Amino acid sequence: MTAISTSHRLKRSFQRHTLPYMFIIVPMISMIVFLFIPMVVSLWWSLNDYTGLTAAKFVGLNNYIKLITDDKIFIRGLLNTTVFVLLGMSIGPTLGLLTALMLNQNVRFRSIFRTAYYLPVMTSLVVVSTIWVMLYNQNGLFNTILENLGLHKVGWLSNPHVALISVAIASIWQGFGFETVVFLAALQSIPRELYEAAMMDGAGAWAQFRFITLPSLKPVIIFVYIIGIIGSYQVFDQVFVMTDGGPVYSTTTIVYYLFNRFMNHKLGYASAIAYILFAILVIFSYMQMRLTREKA
Amino acid sequence: MAVHPKTFRNSFSRIILYLILIGSAVMMIVPFYWSVGTSLKLEQNVYSNPPQWIPNPLTWANYIHVLTRIPFSRYFANSVFVAAVTTLGHVFFDTLAGYTFAKLKFPFRDQIFFVMLLALMVPFQVNLIPLYKIMATLHWTNTYLALIVPNLTSIFGIFLMRQFMMTIPNELLDAARIDGCNEFGVFRKVALPLALPGIATLIIFTFMGTWNDFLWPRIVTNSEKLFTLPVGLAQLQMKNTSNVAQIMAGTVLTALPMIIVFLFMQRQFIEGMTAGALKE
Repeated sequence: MTAISTSHRLKRSFQRHTLPYMFIIVPMISMIVFLFIPMVVSLWWSLNDYTGLTAAKFVGLNNYIKLITDDKIFIRGLLNTTVFVLLGMSIGPTLGLLTALMLNQNVRFRSIFRTAYYLPVMTSLVVVSTIWVMLYNQNGLFNTILENLGLHKVGWLSNPHVALISVAIASIWQGFGFETVVFLAALQSIPRELYEAAMMDGAGAWAQFRFITLPSLKPVIIFVYIIGIIGSYQVFDQVFVMTDGGPVYSTTTIVYYLFNRFMNHKLGYASAIAYILFAILVIFSYMQMRLTREKA
Repeated sequence: MAVHPKTFRNSFSRIILYLILIGSAVMMIVPFYWSVGTSLKLEQNVYSNPPQWIPNPLTWANYIHVLTRIPFSRYFANSVFVAAVTTLGHVFFDTLAGYTFAKLKFPFRDQIFFVMLLALMVPFQVNLIPLYKIMATLHWTNTYLALIVPNLTSIFGIFLMRQFMMTIPNELLDAARIDGCNEFGVFRKVALPLALPGIATLIIFTFMGTWNDFLWPRIVTNSEKLFTLPVGLAQLQMKNTSNVAQIMAGTVLTALPMIIVFLFMQRQFIEGMTAGALKE
């Protein structure tokens, strides 16, 4: 009798205390081996002169100091990336919101429009980039149209003053469908009664937008901007396929330069770039936490 | 009878609305149409002026070229295999872990979960280089192991599944326990079926993410046998010997499977994408 209940208790204790750990053991090991250990190693390498081929040599903060004070290409990359983020964030979400507002007007065939805007979002960036390389070609569709209108051809990807803007345009085209869909869903979740009450009080279209739509969308707007900023700071695929960072570094971004240093066996240096990027993203993640907490 | 001015104004603004919507939808579709069209053209007609809106003559030669001369069928098989196995891993590990964090009590549960949330903020580039070194040390570079094993589970997936599992009432789980179900049985027979909409979202996110992933497969493979579609396509586009019509055939082959999946599962895609944003 006691033997049975002891074994029963043991079994229960196993089910209560050991089993949960077994259920999460694979993700935990995966997280430690593929995330935490590499993170620490990367931090250590960033303090070393390390090629991956010869032994690492400790250099303290030299990599960071060199990057920020002495490396013109990195500073250019930092600037380029920031311009890319600003271009994308000033146009993408606005375009997304405008489109969502239009689709929210009891439009026929709404789902067909939504599909059209959303199509590029689930297409790989490599695919989007190869398509736009063709469109941007010196003799491509865009320049042919310009030529037939009697205008000058544009060196979309070959002119250093234009290339970054061209990459940003393709990226906005790829991404704003996501913002449209998110805003549309948020708009549809605003209770009708709010608008009806406002109309009874004589509020016009602008007042309704200003005092009902915009405040209701605030959390979604914050979400869209922060996710967008964090994602855009990591821009790589488009640059790799479309411009290879050129011409004359005009489209070199943080992650493209990191990749470039990595390929040139500057592993310590590349790790320092990764940590600078991390620091930038932490600032924005922190801002998101602050902004969303304020609301609650 | 004269048209009432207000009705006129309303229908006028509706026409403008539709014109803008149709115009922007056309702008979204034209690049896709142009790439399909180009993939069916002869190379000398690719940049012709006036532009060929309908390929003339229409040719399948570019597809035959990329499928036979360049192993695009191999890239395709690699992409399917890697995305399928990775997705399967996520469905099992993320769902089970999500359930455990949502419904089971154990020491340090909340602390572990908090650390995971912090880790969610770490950009992939931070661990990229040491991760590559680990793969090289294990002799996993240029094998499917490097493409699959580090991505079998994700914190984001666990977080997503935890959110879905939290909505399942505890009474249902307790009832199963009283009926003599063991803990894994409770998960498999009660929680799993109830979390199916969440799993659909997880499958979509994972499959799409893996199918479109570029940086990691680009870094851990340099043999054509292991290339996934985006890596193979980028390679094709960089070779100066390849011509535009062939690149577009490769582009269409890379994009088409995702587009077909999307058209069939549109509702789940859009619900999954918006769920995260609106729950914030």
